[in-house]
Amino acid sequence: MTRRLAPYALAIGGVIAVTAAIGLITSLASVPGLSAIYLLVVLWLGARWGRGPAVAGSIAAFLLYDFFFVPPVGTFTVRGPAEVLELIVLLAVALVTSQLAASLRRTRGGAEALARESRALYELATAALRSPEVTVALTMLSRRATELRSISRFSLVAVDSGHPSVLAGGEVSLEELKQAAWCHENGRPVGIAVRDGELKLMRTHPEAQSTPAYLPLASGVAVVGIEPATAAPDDLRMLTALIGLADLLLDRRRAALETERARGFEASDRLKAAILSSLSHELKSPIASLRAGLTALAAPQAGLLPEQRQLLIDLDGQATRLDRMVGDMLALSRLEAGVQLDKEPHRFADLVGSAVRQLRAELAGHDLAISVPDDLPPVEVDEMQVGRVLTNLLENALEWAPSQGAIEVGAAARNGVVEAWIENDGPPIATGDLDRVFDTFWTRRARGSGLGLAICKRVVEAHGGRISVENRRRGPRFTFTLPLAPITVAL
Amino acid sequence: MSGRVLVVDDEVEMQRALRAGLSYHDFDVRAVGSGEEAIREATSWRPDVILLDLGLPGMDGFATLKALRPATRAAVIVVSVMPGEKDKVRALDAGADDYVVKPFGTEELVARIRAVLRRQADVPAGEPVIRSGDLEVDLAHRTVTVNGRVVRLTPTEYELLRYLALHAGKPVTHTTLLRQVWGDYAVGDKYNTRYVVAQIRKKLGDDSANPRYIVNEPGVGYRLEG
Repeated sequence: MTRRLAPYALAIGGVIAVTAAIGLITSLASVPGLSAIYLLVVLWLGARWGRGPAVAGSIAAFLLYDFFFVPPVGTFTVRGPAEVLELIVLLAVALVTSQLAASLRRTRGGAEALARESRALYELATAALRSPEVTVALTMLSRRATELRSISRFSLVAVDSGHPSVLAGGEVSLEELKQAAWCHENGRPVGIAVRDGELKLMRTHPEAQSTPAYLPLASGVAVVGIEPATAAPDDLRMLTALIGLADLLLDRRRAALETERARGFEASDRLKAAILSSLSHELKSPIASLRAGLTALAAPQAGLLPEQRQLLIDLDGQATRLDRMVGDMLALSRLEAGVQLDKEPHRFADLVGSAVRQLRAELAGHDLAISVPDDLPPVEVDEMQVGRVLTNLLENALEWAPSQGAIEVGAAARNGVVEAWIENDGPPIATGDLDRVFDTFWTRRARGSGLGLAICKRVVEAHGGRISVENRRRGPRFTFTLPLAPITVAL
Repeated sequence: MSGRVLVVDDEVEMQRALRAGLSYHDFDVRAVGSGEEAIREATSWRPDVILLDLGLPGMDGFATLKALRPATRAAVIVVSVMPGEKDKVRALDAGADDYVVKPFGTEELVARIRAVLRRQADVPAGEPVIRSGDLEVDLAHRTVTVNGRVVRLTPTEYELLRYLALHAGKPVTHTTLLRQVWGDYAVGDKYNTRYVVAQIRKKLGDDSANPRYIVNEPGVGYRLEG
């Protein structure tokens, strides 16, 4: 109370002091217009203390001046328009200066408040971004928000694939979590909204005030307890800035989580390949014993009956199939784990030669035509992997070409790549299946593994090439591209 | 008896299967389960061919191979489940005569064993003319003919073909060819061998995409068909 009255006391005191000074001066000499000194006091009062004290000062000045210096001295009688004018001028000066000063003070106060806010936000943002733990940063942010007078709570909820979890800002009830998840899923705020960078309160009914407001962000939800009655524009501005920062931090958290998850997948792919590699080894050893035993007994010298020998040969065929499936699965998982390609310049004809030789027994019953031009430029490939593509495609052709049927292997340089094809005169592939033949585990055969062509696709794509299939007049043709070796290599 | 074969494999089932299978093809077979036993048998029993599994417990296949080489003149065929190309090269460079990938059929194994035995028999005979189909390499006169037609090769081409011919039927690694034909400084530059082999094939009238004489051993090197 004393604080609020002190400026008035100062006003009265100042005016009395000026009156005394004027009295002193007039007792020494006759100086006209000394009442202007009062203006100084009123000006000072208005600038420093605002309208009230300035007006009080100007009224007191008028009364004292009138009483002590305006004749008849010793009375408050106002005589003539000059004195009235004097009073009006004093009052006007008091009002105008105090008004000016007050608006100046308000502006300065606003600027200071803004500077303070910016400074606080800057410090918070730096600290938050420097802190390696996003939750620590979010907690700092939430604490800062609840320092605002109208904010009773400020919690941040992350929503990861539909599951809400509290990251900062204390207790959030199960119901509130559900509501937060709903808001995030539907992108609908409750109670508050940010429009054009400004926070808007959307309270409709008073009983809703005990429940918090929800603002969905890109990667989470801000749950805010806000008192609309005391929410000053400054508070709302600060809150908007804090929510913006929270939005950034939640985004950063999600990005970090995604990176971590991707790294995890990569590691698990490698682990899978390693496990499968060791498993393949374990599976192949018994298959090796099986095949050695079955083929030993299938020899005529073993003295078994022809039908018994046939049974053993059939069983050996099954063991071979099993072996190939194990090999294919391992190859596919290695490709999926991102196998390192051992790329070197090779003549494509050499690669065809190796594949044809590997399958020479099977190819013997077919009409094989190879048309690889002598001057085909060398390709830059992993010999073993592309060899697998060729053997898989040749095996596929053998599977479908009729016995004594034709199989054609060809290649040509086109548009900076080598385009190779393998064609057979077997039945066409149903149009609807053309897109699916390269899918993992998709097969046209009852006994196929569905891995051979999937492996081809992965290998070709790992080399930056494309593979496709089409039905030509004669039969299905598989076409794939391989990169050329640098032109400096002569092969 | 067409030869003595020592099987070195730690799996009893494999030992039994090979003992039976190879004996039906008139081989005299013994089987052991470790590298140490293999070395003992190699010196005392003197087999003609050793089938050496690389995945032995204890003393592993490579160590056994290294120890076997000075101890025996037997041909060594390395046997392995899922060998990488590097393993094959390493085994060949360490003195193995051939490799067979598990699982295999008895017929295939017998064919490989007969091939190394044939080569073994040829070497001491000092046969001056080596044949691969209708290709003849006359080592004494340094001439190469296909179907009687003389083929003119450059010295480098001849040296490479000669080395393959001397080891006809055996896979020869890129490294070995580079060292034998060009010298130690060229080791590592596989384009040389690929280029020269392509030139030789062209002169022999052979087709790279379906070769009759020099065949590729993917990831390893070349082999002249025996």
